[in-house]
Amino acid sequence: MAEEVRFFLRTALYSAAVGLIYWSISYEVAGSVMLAFVVLATGLVVGFLTIAVRATRGELTAGAGGPATRLALTMLRTLGFVEPRTVALEEPLAAERDRFPRGSPWPLIGGAGALLAGLGLVYGPWLLLPAIAVLVLTVWGWITQFDVSS
Amino acid sequence: MSTAEFGQGRGLGQDRPLADGAGTTHRAGIIDYLTTTDHKQIGLLYVFTGLAFFIISGALSLLMRAELTMPGLQFMDEATYNQLFTMHGTGMIFFFASPVVFGFANYFIPLQIGAPDVAFPRLNALTYWLALAGGLTAFSGFLTGGAAAFGWTGYVPLSDATYSPGSGANLWIIGLALSGTSGILGAVNFVTTIFTMRAPGMTMFRMPVFTWNMLVTSLLIMLTFPVLTAALAMLFIDRTFGAHFFDPAAGGSAILWQHLFWFFGHPEVYILILPFFGIVTEIIPVFSGKPIFGYRGFVFATMLIGVLSYSVWAHHMFTTGVVSNLFFAVTSLMIAIPTGVKFFNWIATMWRGRLRFDTPMLFCIGFLFMFLIGGLTGPFLASPAIDYAVHDTYYVVAHFHYVLFGGSVFAAFAGLYFWLPKMTGRLMDERLGKLHFWLVFVGINLTFFPMHVLGLEGMPRRIADYPASQGDWTMLNIVISVGSAILVLGILAFAWNVVRCIFLGRGRISGDDPWGGYSLEWATSSPPPHHNFRAIPPIRSERPVFDARHPTTPVRVKPAAVGEGLTDG
Repeated sequence: MAEEVRFFLRTALYSAAVGLIYWSISYEVAGSVMLAFVVLATGLVVGFLTIAVRATRGELTAGAGGPATRLALTMLRTLGFVEPRTVALEEPLAAERDRFPRGSPWPLIGGAGALLAGLGLVYGPWLLLPAIAVLVLTVWGWITQFDVSS
Repeated sequence: MSTAEFGQGRGLGQDRPLADGAGTTHRAGIIDYLTTTDHKQIGLLYVFTGLAFFIISGALSLLMRAELTMPGLQFMDEATYNQLFTMHGTGMIFFFASPVVFGFANYFIPLQIGAPDVAFPRLNALTYWLALAGGLTAFSGFLTGGAAAFGWTGYVPLSDATYSPGSGANLWIIGLALSGTSGILGAVNFVTTIFTMRAPGMTMFRMPVFTWNMLVTSLLIMLTFPVLTAALAMLFIDRTFGAHFFDPAAGGSAILWQHLFWFFGHPEVYILILPFFGIVTEIIPVFSGKPIFGYRGFVFATMLIGVLSYSVWAHHMFTTGVVSNLFFAVTSLMIAIPTGVKFFNWIATMWRGRLRFDTPMLFCIGFLFMFLIGGLTGPFLASPAIDYAVHDTYYVVAHFHYVLFGGSVFAAFAGLYFWLPKMTGRLMDERLGKLHFWLVFVGINLTFFPMHVLGLEGMPRRIADYPASQGDWTMLNIVISVGSAILVLGILAFAWNVVRCIFLGRGRISGDDPWGGYSLEWATSSPPPHHNFRAIPPIRSERPVFDARHPTTPVRVKPAAVGEGLTDG
């Protein structure tokens, strides 16, 4: 098992144990629910990473595993989280180097939009309208800044 | 570039100013910084923004000390004082310490794991702008009729619309929400970067301890910041739209706020200290001429502190009488065990080492003493019987200032002296650095140690005035104010050092590796080029640069899963 998986697994197991103890001696709802969500959140990551690791190592190939595994694998590949085993990197992200952005105005514009939206919540909806416009523009600009296909 | 080329061309020992990947030089302008997605420039933005908020928040504390030096109200009323301590705590925790952590992490995680950048560079830039927007929003309350005035913990009902009317409190909520969102996005970015972008040979258990600690810190952020964000949303809805989440009269619960806040709030302390543990652990081995003692034990101690930290939240709530004091006392006291392991490792690393007392090492040793005092008062506060006696007194203020100033700030200064040469290509002045250290070391002890006595004598925190007839409170407060003035002198020495050596360019050229470092950031130029490396040494241990410098020294080689995004440790 990869250390990345064990890292989250240890957290999930500890949270499950401590959550059970906490609930059994306190019956306090808020803390118990938060600990339960820690188990859920880290457990999800454990499941996700387990599939990702197996797929990366080539243990999962097309058609292998049950329907749930195949579905998860398809989703991971679609999202770009799993790369084929044949991509052996001789240096850090050699093939990706040119795809790192050299700069972008959209984070700054998006931050300004978020600030406007926050101030809109405090001072009134009249600020929310321009904030939404800026945020929509940011999303559009962000997505279209790089043409990945080229 | 390949690992075999390391040491050829412009590797170790070559000096050059800011350089891009093509080898040409240029100075980054304002537009470059406004639109940058380079993790190094974003790291610098974070660090210097954090230092700006350190100065602002520190200035607020000086105003408080001016008021408290003598009994009676001299300079301000209680309402103003309430705003000052609220924004001092908020500024130091959310807008100084966190940005500095994120600054170091931004700059050095990719360098330490041999990556060209973080996984999501544009998202990374967005986190910085959100953090800056959060800080400006929270502090803008001073310009709108009064900032938040209910303490950095925002307890209800003090923070509800009845007791804290006005926009200052709302701006505080929105500011923290923006900052929290920034933190969550940043943590996701760091975890993804560490898991998927390590150089060939860089297995999990060859990563530098700073990167390990940032991984644990990122996990804590991802698990706890959403809770804070949710609590802030509920408070905002209560205040603005008339909901009753925290209103007991309408079926809500004021204690619920405390549960939600401290489920975030206590791990936040570890979010603010674990990265600095990592920094100290990077520095002590280098200046001891030895590898870190018990690398794996150290890493597992960090993980144990991480998981324990979110099962201790209600030790802040002992005196509410509605939490399991036994459970939280036990879990809180258990944190002393992995922390003790770390102390043992630090001391064992220095033991019989060839110690060099340059400024980074001085601050690390100062950190050990100061954090030890803060750490030792922790178990007392984790004991309900004692906590009932000193709850909300200056004893608590002394405890967390020894932890967060003596711990985080000392380690931050150590990190700045250690890494600013890598970030800027210039060394800081050693004499000014040592002056800075001794002034701060004396200042912090004069400022915060007497607070233990004040607390044990019952002086409550968060008061603007106290009776002149109350024991030796006046004398102790005078000592504290004198100590804070000495602290200011120390900070001024640091500020002048930065201006003189970095901004005026009078610092000596640092070279690529001025300290004889161990981890990968010392294998590239100072400052590093765009995309960081021209050559990476073979990674066969947690000290790849040391191994490259001493090729005949045997290293324990574990098979590395080259070519895989996720690897066995």
